[in-house]
Amino acid sequence: MAEAMFRRWGRELTIAGAIVLFLLPLIGIPGKTYLTLTIAGLAMGMLVFLVASGVSIIFGLMDVLNFAHGALFAWGAYVGFTVFKHLMKWVEADSVLQNLAVFFLAIVAAMVVVALLGIVLERVIVRRVYGSHLFQILITFGATIVLVELIRVFWGPNDEVMTVPLTFYGNWDIFDIIVDRYRVICIVIGLIVYGVIQLILKKTKLGMIVRAGVEDREMVQAMGHNIFLLFTGVFAVGAGLAALGGLAMSIFSLQVYPDMGGTYLLFAFIVVIIGGLGSVTGSLVGALIVGLAYNYVAYLVPWAAAGVNIMIMIIILLIRPTGLFPAGK
Amino acid sequence: MAEPTPVQIFHTEEKRMQYRSGSFFLRVGLLVLFLVVPFLFPSFKTVDLAMQIIMFATLVASFDILLGYTGILSFGHGMFFGIGAYCVAFLIGKYGMPSYFNLALGFITAAVVAYALALLISFLSLRVKAIFFAMITLAIAELAIVLATKLSGFSGGEDGISIFMPGIFAVSFTLGDLMGLEITGRVVTYYFILLFCLGLFLAMLRFTHSPLGRVLQAIRDNTQRAEALGYKTFLFQAISITFGCVVASIVGGLYAMWVAYVNPESCLGVLTIMLDVLLMVIIGGMGTLYGGIVGAAFLKISQTFLPDLQNLAKGLLPHAEFLHNILERWLLLFGILFILVVVFFPKGVIGSVRDYMAGRNRVRG
Repeated sequence: MAEAMFRRWGRELTIAGAIVLFLLPLIGIPGKTYLTLTIAGLAMGMLVFLVASGVSIIFGLMDVLNFAHGALFAWGAYVGFTVFKHLMKWVEADSVLQNLAVFFLAIVAAMVVVALLGIVLERVIVRRVYGSHLFQILITFGATIVLVELIRVFWGPNDEVMTVPLTFYGNWDIFDIIVDRYRVICIVIGLIVYGVIQLILKKTKLGMIVRAGVEDREMVQAMGHNIFLLFTGVFAVGAGLAALGGLAMSIFSLQVYPDMGGTYLLFAFIVVIIGGLGSVTGSLVGALIVGLAYNYVAYLVPWAAAGVNIMIMIIILLIRPTGLFPAGK
Repeated sequence: MAEPTPVQIFHTEEKRMQYRSGSFFLRVGLLVLFLVVPFLFPSFKTVDLAMQIIMFATLVASFDILLGYTGILSFGHGMFFGIGAYCVAFLIGKYGMPSYFNLALGFITAAVVAYALALLISFLSLRVKAIFFAMITLAIAELAIVLATKLSGFSGGEDGISIFMPGIFAVSFTLGDLMGLEITGRVVTYYFILLFCLGLFLAMLRFTHSPLGRVLQAIRDNTQRAEALGYKTFLFQAISITFGCVVASIVGGLYAMWVAYVNPESCLGVLTIMLDVLLMVIIGGMGTLYGGIVGAAFLKISQTFLPDLQNLAKGLLPHAEFLHNILERWLLLFGILFILVVVFFPKGVIGSVRDYMAGRNRVRG
C-alpha cells in the first residue's frame, strides 16, 4: 500500500518533503538571514545548474558520462580571466555600460573557445569510445588531466585573483535584507539559460530531434538525421554551458585556479543523480536543492556542509533510484 | 570414465605447462629480484622504490579486480587505501601504543571498515546503473578528504599522523650484519610487507581463477546473458567490490607501516593515489592482475628519475624553455600517454604481449 503510493506519488512527495525541509531552517535562522541565505543558495544552485545541465544532456542524448566537464568549466573561467585582463580599462571603468560590455565579451569568448575545445574533444577522443561507459569515463578522465595540465602550462600553476567589473560589486538593501547584486545576476543568467534550453528543446525541430534522440537513438538515425553531427553540436553546447558556469563562478569567488573544476564537477554529479540523468528540469531542481541545502547547513552546522549534499543524494538514491525526473531510457 | 570435456582438457593442459612456461620463470625471477634488492642495492632510494612498486602493484591488482574483472570503475579505491592507512595510524599512533596487538587490530579494523563501506556503496549504486558507481565513489572519496582535513581533532588534520613501529619493525631495531647488510627494522619491515603483499596477490589470483572469478568475467562481458543464465549479478558484483576494497585497505595499512606517516593528501587524495593507480592499471593492462606490476614499476621508476631527467635537460639544453615547462608538467605527458593507451592499446602492456604471443603460437601451429 505505502509502496504503491510511493511509486505513484514519489516525485510529488519528495518535492513536498524538500519544501518542508527548506522551510525547516527558519526555526534556527532569523528571517532576514534566512532570505539572504536563500538568495545565496539560489545563486549557487543556478551556477551548478549550468554545469549539471551539460552533463545531463550529454548523457541523455549520447549516453556519454563526461568527466572532462569540470576541466571545461575551469577553461571557461580562465578564458574569461584573460579577457578581463586584456580589457582592464573597461573592467575598472566606472561605467555600467562598459562593465556590461566587457562582461558579455568575456562570456562570448569563454563560451566560443570552450565550445571549440568541446568539439575537438568529442571528435578526437570521445567519438572513439561510444558505447562503452568504462572507456568513456577513463578517456574523459584522461582528457581532464591533460586539460588541467594545459591550464598550468599556459596560465601558470598558481591561484590568480580575478578582477571583477565594478558594477558587480556591492549589495542592494531592500527593507533591511542584504542582497548581493551579483547573486541576483547569477539567478537571472540561470533562469535565462533554463528558459532558452527549454524553448529550444520544446519548440524547435532541432530540439525535437534531440528529445527523440534521448528516447531512441537508432530510430532517429533511421529517420535520416545525422545523429553524429547532433552529438558534436550537443557536446559543444554542453561545453559552452560549462564555460559560462566557470566564468560566472570565478566572478563569484573572485579567483581562478587550475583544479577549480573538480569540486563543481562533483556538485554536478550529485545534481544529476538527484534530478535524474538526461533531464534538464531535473538538473534545475536538483541544483537548487543542492545550492540551498549547502548554504543553510553551512550557516547552521559549518563542518557538515560538505556532507549534506552527499546525504541528500543517498536518500534520493534510496527512495527514487532513477532521480526525481527520470528521462528517456 | 567419461570422455574429458574440452574445458577439462584445457585445464589439464594448463596444469601440465604451469611450471615450464617462460612466464612462470619470469614470475619467479621477479620475486627473487625483489627478495635480493636490499642486499644488492642497500641505498634508501632503491629499497624505497622497490617497496613502493610492490605495494602499488598489489593495490593496482586489487583495483583491477573491480575494473578488469568486474567492469566497474571506482574512484574511491584511493579512499579505501587511505582508510587502511588511517586505521593503522590511529591504533598504533594517535589512539594506542605501538604494539603487535594494536598493529594487528589496526589491520582488522581497516578490513572491517572497508568491508562495511564497500558494501554500503555497492548497495546504493549497483541498484541503478554500474556507472553510478564511478560518480558516487568520487563524491564519497572527496567527502572523505574533506572530513579528514576538517575534523583535525579526530584525524590529525592536514598535519597528518606520525607513527612509530613496535618491536622488530622499529627503525632502531637491529639484528646485526648478514652478508654485509645490517638487518635493521626497515629491512624486517621490507620483508614483512613483501611477504604480506605476495600473500594478498596469491589470494587475488586464486579469487580471479576460481569459479566465482569466471562468473564475474561473464558478468563483465555480457551482463544480460549472465543474468539469463541465472546468476545474481548484483551479488557477485558486490562480493568482488568488497573483496577488492578490503585488499586495498590492507595495502593502505602496509603503506602506513612503511612510510610511518599518514596525511589526507598522500593517503586519500583522488588526484594523488587514485590517479597513479588508474595510470598504472591502464598502462599495465586491465584484467590481467600482473599488469599492476608492470604499470607500478613503469610509473614509480619514471617518477623517481624525472627530477634527474629535468636536471639533465637543463644541463644539455639550457635555453629550451618550452621543454623545461613540459618536463615540469610531467603529468601532462602521463595524461597524453593515458589517452593514447586507452585508444590504441586498451589491453595495456601485458594484454598486448599476451595477444602477440598467442598470435605467434597460432602461426607456428
